[in-house]
Amino acid sequence: MRTLLLRLEPGIWLLFGAGILVGTILLPAYLLTVTLGAPLGLLPEGALSYERAYAIASNPIGRVVLLALIALPLWKGAHHVRALLADWLGHGPDPVLGSLLYAVAAAGSLAGIYAVLTL
Amino acid sequence: MARASHPQAMTPHRPGSTRTAPPQVPDTFWSQPRMRTYLLFDATGIPYMLVGLLVLRVAFALGRGPEAWAALLQEFSHPLYLAFHVLALLSVMFVGVRFFRLFPKAQPAKLGPVKPPPRPVLHAGLYGAWIGVTLALLVVLGGLWP
Repeated sequence: MRTLLLRLEPGIWLLFGAGILVGTILLPAYLLTVTLGAPLGLLPEGALSYERAYAIASNPIGRVVLLALIALPLWKGAHHVRALLADWLGHGPDPVLGSLLYAVAAAGSLAGIYAVLTL
Repeated sequence: MARASHPQAMTPHRPGSTRTAPPQVPDTFWSQPRMRTYLLFDATGIPYMLVGLLVLRVAFALGRGPEAWAALLQEFSHPLYLAFHVLALLSVMFVGVRFFRLFPKAQPAKLGPVKPPPRPVLHAGLYGAWIGVTLALLVVLGGLWP
């Protein structure tokens, strides 16, 4: 397992780095509107009505951005939580915990691809 | 009591003639100010993972139809969700400020014949991209355009 993780490391690092860079650039606007502005009623009337939100998310650029918002934070999170657990629990359980975290990120990314393709 | 560190940590390339004790992690490793900031940076991984999974729910709700979308926004207005999303926003800001400061320092001096731009330019460019993309998305998601 340790060898497999080391072999996958370059790919994982690419997704982790993209998660920090692209994820961090994209997330503030998403969090401010969809998760805080809309539920608190702070956005103009109809800004995130179903029809408008669907039109934004289902155009080609919208699908790519939506997939980036799903997959990249998952990989950034998985890699950082793995490092956090290695610091606290030592390197013994790291191969198992790391694999589990990356499995969650991979499953979430695949579900994200399915979700944006079937929008 | 200190515990064993990574077995390969601090291993020299060639074994020396002097025997050395295996490296140890001090029990109070987390109390060092630099380590605390580092651990906090790593801990932002938890809200990032949860946000990724919640955006997946957003995508599925949009695919299911208007009722599912309205139900999800209603769910997001629960105080626990609001508190979590505020925490997530703070995490993203912390990661951005720290990472964009470290990113220029982590660049190679040369990439083939190409030299990266000076550090302050790279730093300003990252902030420019961050603020520009955020404003553009706020305009679209906030209903101002199109």
